[in-house]
Amino acid sequence: MTLLLQIMVLLTSILLVLLVLLHRAKGGGLSSLFGGGMQSNLAGSSVAEKNLDRMTLFVIALWVISIIGTGLLIKLGG
Amino acid sequence: MLGAFRSALTTPDLRRKILFTLGMVVLYRLGATIPSPGVSYPNIQQCVEVLQGESQSVYSLLNLFSGGALLQLSVLSLGIMPYITASIIVQLLQVVIPRFEQLKKEGQSGQAKLTQYTRYLTVALAVLQATGIVALAVRGQLFPGCQQEVIPDNSVLNMVVIVVTMTAGAALLMWMGELITERGVGNGMSLLIFTSIASRIPAEGGNILNNSGGFVFAVICCFGLVIIASVVFVEQAQRRIPVQYAKRMIGRRMYGGTSTYLPLKVNQAGVIPVIFGSSLLYLPQLLGQLAGNQNTWWSRFIQTYIVDPSSWVHILLYMAMIIFFAYFYVSITFNPEERADEMKKFGGFIPGIRPGRPTAEYLSFVLSRITLPGALYLGIIAVLPNFFLGVTGGQGGAQNFPFGGTAVLIMVNVGLDTVKQVESQLTQRSYEGFLR
Repeated sequence: MTLLLQIMVLLTSILLVLLVLLHRAKGGGLSSLFGGGMQSNLAGSSVAEKNLDRMTLFVIALWVISIIGTGLLIKLGG
Repeated sequence: MLGAFRSALTTPDLRRKILFTLGMVVLYRLGATIPSPGVSYPNIQQCVEVLQGESQSVYSLLNLFSGGALLQLSVLSLGIMPYITASIIVQLLQVVIPRFEQLKKEGQSGQAKLTQYTRYLTVALAVLQATGIVALAVRGQLFPGCQQEVIPDNSVLNMVVIVVTMTAGAALLMWMGELITERGVGNGMSLLIFTSIASRIPAEGGNILNNSGGFVFAVICCFGLVIIASVVFVEQAQRRIPVQYAKRMIGRRMYGGTSTYLPLKVNQAGVIPVIFGSSLLYLPQLLGQLAGNQNTWWSRFIQTYIVDPSSWVHILLYMAMIIFFAYFYVSITFNPEERADEMKKFGGFIPGIRPGRPTAEYLSFVLSRITLPGALYLGIIAVLPNFFLGVTGGQGGAQNFPFGGTAVLIMVNVGLDTVKQVESQLTQRSYEGFLR
């Protein structure tokens, strides 16, 4: 059971990293990080971006559930 | 003031943005308490307790930036640090690699590409840092003096799972920061740093209160307020260089003919020099820790002169680095020739100075003169807590001390920036703002 959950954590983590990297890059890096003025985002989010958001949220949910699951198993001594 | 708050909350658009930001912050703090899979939570708690007393650790700055999540080995324990390091590296590479410089000049699309590189680099750095932390934790070096096993099951699979989880956490945090920037108020990344620093304040304050008593605590609080006020004062200071625009007709409409000013901030570089300097100063310390052997002559040299925050060498080195990086960063971000060219293109000039090269020379002259007090101010604020080591409860808490140094600079900068953004949103709807 623990092994299964661990594999689940591995898979969802890798998927999560890939999905986040797929998102369009926003913000101007460090220059805007600390008091660098504001820039408006003129480009609205497209349908593809919206679907990507939904998928990412789904993967995040799976990720959190499997992490908490492993934590519980360890605590219960399983 | 309170009325401004009310109108900020009654504007539906702004209310949604503020609530979104707050929700993200809450999620971040929640995630910072979930332990990584395979980490024994009770053992970690005991070890952190042991460490609280001395609090001398290589990771005090890292731990500050992650809001204490790092030493808990939580899911989001890397915090925003990989992203900061990655953006520093990309920023520095713009000077070295011609392709990056070209991308920077390309404008919006080039900037987007650079940001994408930064994100890839963030993930790579996150893997590195997570591996380092897990290795230290397994070897028992993360908590010197603690006998409990932090990671009970040190099989390869288990460690890989922890590393990958932390990497995913860093990526998730990066996405959260971008979401706040896009849909909330303020800059997401800096707000997340702000949150983690602010979350350390109660614990650190409690430490001081327990160690030194109520009177010292009150004095330190007053002192902190004075520092905050002076930071705000210098942050807002700017030199206004008058710029006159020539009148011109385009079609039937009249353009220009106005006189405006070009604001040059005293502290143009923000807090970036402080972050650069402190990150670099932590390198020899980290190397010493990794080498392990404490008795060679160079590790003793590093211990007495560079690591010890109350030694004069450390303070002077830190100051020098901050001043150097302030000039360096201003020279990267503000290009006087470009600015002068732009002004010339739109028919603007500084009264008394010819457009073109003389203007650029004048701008860089003013800028380099005005940056000196800015850099000195940054340096003084950053090394200030080092003088109060005796008061703040022994060694090591210097950078953690939330009422001076790096922490206050970052918090005040981010706070000012966010309030200004909310303010501009309010004035768009012609409401009265927070700042008079």
